[in-house]
Amino acid sequence: MKKVESTLENIRDDIKKFYDYKVWHFITMNGVALDGERFEVQWIFSRYEAMDESVIYYTVTEYDKIIPSIEDIIPSSIISQREVVDMFGVKIDGSEAGLYLDADSLQMPLRGCGL
Amino acid sequence: MKKTIHIPLGSQHISLLEPVKFKFECENEKIIGVDSDVGFVHRGVERACTTKFKFDGVGYVVARVCGLCAITHSMTYTASIEKMLQTQIPLKAKYLRMLLLELDRIHSHMLCLSHVSENAGFEAIFMRIMGDRELIMEIQELITGNRVQFDFISIGGVNRDISSEHIKKVKEALKVVRSKVDGYIDEFTNNWSLSLKYKNIGVLSLDDAYRFNAIGPLARASGLKIDVRNEIDYLPYSEIGFEMQTSTGGDIHARNVVRLNEIVNSIQMCENILDALPEGEIQTKVKGKPDGEVLVRYEAPRGELAYYVKGGGKPMLDRVRIKTPTFASIPSFSHIFMGSQYADAPAILASFDPCLSCTAK
Amino acid sequence: MFEKYRKKSPWILHYNAGSCNGCDIEILASLSPKYDLERFGVVNTGNPKQSDIFLVTGPVTYRSRERLVELYTQMPEPKVVVAVGSCSCTGGVFRDMYNVEDRVDRYIPVDVYVAGCASSPELIIDGVVKALDILESKTKEMEFAKKLQNKPKIEDGIVSRKEMPRRVGENDEES
Repeated sequence: MKKVESTLENIRDDIKKFYDYKVWHFITMNGVALDGERFEVQWIFSRYEAMDESVIYYTVTEYDKIIPSIEDIIPSSIISQREVVDMFGVKIDGSEAGLYLDADSLQMPLRGCGL
Repeated sequence: MKKTIHIPLGSQHISLLEPVKFKFECENEKIIGVDSDVGFVHRGVERACTTKFKFDGVGYVVARVCGLCAITHSMTYTASIEKMLQTQIPLKAKYLRMLLLELDRIHSHMLCLSHVSENAGFEAIFMRIMGDRELIMEIQELITGNRVQFDFISIGGVNRDISSEHIKKVKEALKVVRSKVDGYIDEFTNNWSLSLKYKNIGVLSLDDAYRFNAIGPLARASGLKIDVRNEIDYLPYSEIGFEMQTSTGGDIHARNVVRLNEIVNSIQMCENILDALPEGEIQTKVKGKPDGEVLVRYEAPRGELAYYVKGGGKPMLDRVRIKTPTFASIPSFSHIFMGSQYADAPAILASFDPCLSCTAK
Repeated sequence: MFEKYRKKSPWILHYNAGSCNGCDIEILASLSPKYDLERFGVVNTGNPKQSDIFLVTGPVTYRSRERLVELYTQMPEPKVVVAVGSCSCTGGVFRDMYNVEDRVDRYIPVDVYVAGCASSPELIIDGVVKALDILESKTKEMEFAKKLQNKPKIEDGIVSRKEMPRRVGENDEES
């Protein structure tokens, strides 16, 4: 498992440069709550037909920043983007909330959870 | 004048086992737009794994994410904890785990095949496959003590040993299943009315499979070589005769063929495991608290299952991220529905073998 | 006529209100040839308006609440609700999770509780057979209520007291 750090401004360019759709398999987008107002956003990839070779692009950011969408680079990322929006109550370009949560359920269930 | 009509499928429908809602935008009979709602069974397992349960109990909680692939969930979670604690589990436990994982794959694929044939209007074959599936369920009950939720895998090994009488019974039952599966292969490839409903319907091309990151039998039916059993080293799959099954065509027929071939391969693997079952312990003592972060993948019956687990040296984990197979396939589902006939929608949906309890967690 | 044959051939409706699928496949297995729930005349239907027995699995999640109540109200009387699985009876392992309402009987009245995680087909068949008895007694209750509303039979100008509908306070007036 290789971890590559990036920033919110550069993440789109980094993934565009890195992602070859016949070599890399996009697994999912993920969020991990850190202390305070920060959390880690991850984009996880693995290589086809290789022995356990995975790459995680990540960036640490605040909850109120808008995260760029990578839907035009990887079309299948739309569903995991919607999940991150619901679970952490953050904003991602072009992804609406309400995949899992209703109006009266607990909002932002994973924010600050597990600390 | 508005030219399109909206037709909903779900959330409760005769052809659906689980609540999922698809809203199709149709032009005459052709589907030109799909909107899906998959959150009906969202329970909040991910949060409970980090706030309610300690790390040694989470393996049994994540098994309840999905009843069909319960054992793959607990397997993947346990493997990630073992990776963090750097535990070496005994070889016999590894073999017993693989035995149960493959049995689970056989019964899950059989359920899917029966469901596909039911949605093509072939009720007789549905009943036949469901009847034969009971043989596998009996084996599972014999080995683990339960039919669906096994709770067989624990951190450090497995919970129950297998006796020599059981091995004999399992072998006999597998032989019967094998002969029945040959009958299905004949039926699914040669039956004329089944092929009407299956061939060239719901096609996913190889390029689209790459672009939409398709996984599992859905991708392998299009010729995409992705099988996580080929890409892991914590279970010795190369020793027991694993072969990746792929097909070309990408339609419902190809998916059925891939599933049938996988059943045959799994039966072969189970027989090999029973023939070469090593002696020794089935449990090791595990000490320590999980620390660090790991990503572990395994091939569930429906495709790649990934666990991202982060621990901080405490009994409670920091984060458990469950990426389930159906969840990642939803964009490719929507893509396949575009351009197909509305009347085929239930059959196409069944051929994906969707598991919504997995999806919504 | 429907009353007569309802017990012989009850139709079941199945809804997953958030379970793990384990109980759902066991319901399917109990309809399959080995256990053969269909020998009791039970047919699995997807239409709430034609069903008599409602099998619910799973703790009720927030989004499936409305659908559950909607399906229940669409079913014609008499109807029996069977809660299948530990999590639909008590919440089970999902108890206190944030998107879960813990159990089915918070929303609709439940007549039969079937335990087990996952419930085995034998238990499900037991539950359905019990539900058949309850269905019969409910049918009888409904018929009794219908009789009370009938007009009194008058034979030879004599009104039979037994067949007259009783009104509140009627006995008091007489005495």
